[in-house]
Amino acid sequence: MEIIQAILIVALAFWMVLDQQGFVITTWFPSIIGMIAGFIMGDVPTAMVIAGTFQLMALGVANIGGSSVPNYGLATLVGIYVAIRTTGDIENAKAIALAVGVPVGMLGIQLDVLGKILNSYVSHAAQKALNEGKFAKMNRIFWIGPLIFGLTTAIPTLLCVIFGDKIVKVLLDVVPKWFTDGLSIAGSMLPVVGIALLLQFMPVKKYLTMLLIGFVISAYLGLPILGIAILGFAFAYYFFTQKMNSTPAAAAAGNGNTSVEGDEFDE
Amino acid sequence: MSNAEPATNNVTKRDIRAAAIRYMFMACNTFNYENQQAPAVVFGLNKVLRKIHKKDEDYKASLNNHFNYFNTTTWMANLLLGASVAMEQKDGIQSKDAVQAFKTGMMGPLAGVGDTLVWVLYPTIMGSIAGYMGLQGNPTGAIIWLLLNIVFFFFRIKLFDVGHTSGLKLITALGDRLNIFTEAASIMGLTVVGALIPAVVKMNIQLKYQTGEVTLPIQTEILDKIMPALLPAVLTLVVYKLIGSKKLSLTNIIFLIIALALVCSYFGILGV
Repeated sequence: MEIIQAILIVALAFWMVLDQQGFVITTWFPSIIGMIAGFIMGDVPTAMVIAGTFQLMALGVANIGGSSVPNYGLATLVGIYVAIRTTGDIENAKAIALAVGVPVGMLGIQLDVLGKILNSYVSHAAQKALNEGKFAKMNRIFWIGPLIFGLTTAIPTLLCVIFGDKIVKVLLDVVPKWFTDGLSIAGSMLPVVGIALLLQFMPVKKYLTMLLIGFVISAYLGLPILGIAILGFAFAYYFFTQKMNSTPAAAAAGNGNTSVEGDEFDE
Repeated sequence: MSNAEPATNNVTKRDIRAAAIRYMFMACNTFNYENQQAPAVVFGLNKVLRKIHKKDEDYKASLNNHFNYFNTTTWMANLLLGASVAMEQKDGIQSKDAVQAFKTGMMGPLAGVGDTLVWVLYPTIMGSIAGYMGLQGNPTGAIIWLLLNIVFFFFRIKLFDVGHTSGLKLITALGDRLNIFTEAASIMGLTVVGALIPAVVKMNIQLKYQTGEVTLPIQTEILDKIMPALLPAVLTLVVYKLIGSKKLSLTNIIFLIIALALVCSYFGILGV
């Protein structure tokens, strides 16, 4: 059973980078990866707490334009595996996942850069095959690309699966309580990094009102996030319809493709 | 161009869908620093282009053209590539330069809007909801996110088809609308982010203020009375300014927070 779980976790690590860079269905976002890892490990609640912590840290971390970012999905995956293998207590699990996951996730940056460098050779080889008229060979060469990227996450996961829980078990015996408590506290503070980073990209100054409204409703009234998201959607919808009516040029241009745009509203 | 004419007719809906799925699978999986997504474009289109360009020389020229630098939001690329296929179907290999100009001209503007929508706002809104529910051990948010991704997957296949049938005109017209859409999504995003600060950032001061007989827990009796979630709000502002100042890298800020938490835990200032 443990072997099967280990194999599935490594396979998920291999798949998640391919999906994030391709189909974008299971993605490598911590929440979804954490849920799948939770099902594999047979402990969804613990996995979701760990995944939630990393998900909130990862907010605002977008790998756009070919930039390399810490791989929080990888951090979540190895964090969950090692934590569930070593402890049954949720607070401890969070601390362990953070201690194992953060460094591995950071390592993800270097591995991603390496993968992109190696893929230059794949591109060259494929184009060479094309010009030699070997079209089938060209097609086969392309598959090396996803293989490289899959390995950039599967290899570190494999190492954590083999050695991670043994090392952590030994460490837990010698590490004092204030230290694991401290990591748990850090886990509750770290979402701030994702939030603050996100605010750099967003028009905060222009729409400070919305930020404050969200804060007040959450802090003073304690409304759940989903409810506040619906409220935010209400504001956004009002803005969108008003703006579309007041810019006739855009409205006219838009008439032709209402059906296309309509789908995106489901979000 | 006599040989290009019959080729136009044997490209079926199925070929278009297959090209869309092939590109979507490869997208950034052959990403490199030289021509970025170009190999994925070649991989995606090579079957359908073989049907269009019967002559080996035309086929090679067309694919070599697609080996040129390409990078945009992969979701949006479906529109561009669908339109590119339509152009090559119509004018054969003579469309080569037009295809190249169209792709390079549109990929910047589409990436600007697309990256914001697809890689910043969508993960922010879904990540906030799923992450918040996750902290309570609840996978519902993650399941909703997964289902939405599946819906978007089919929507993106459709986008390729839309690009193929309506072509250039539509893509240029879409620009204005998408900008307003992005603004609206930012409004929703900021409301959610504002709510996240008190909901997920937790700091509990353990110290008590003591005078004679009276002990006053600082957290519940002083800080919470001033404003709920006062410390998380201050911490957010500090980290926001730190990132903005660019004096510390993100990695260093993360390790700094972990160090701060460890020190506060050791001295009993902050508790779990």
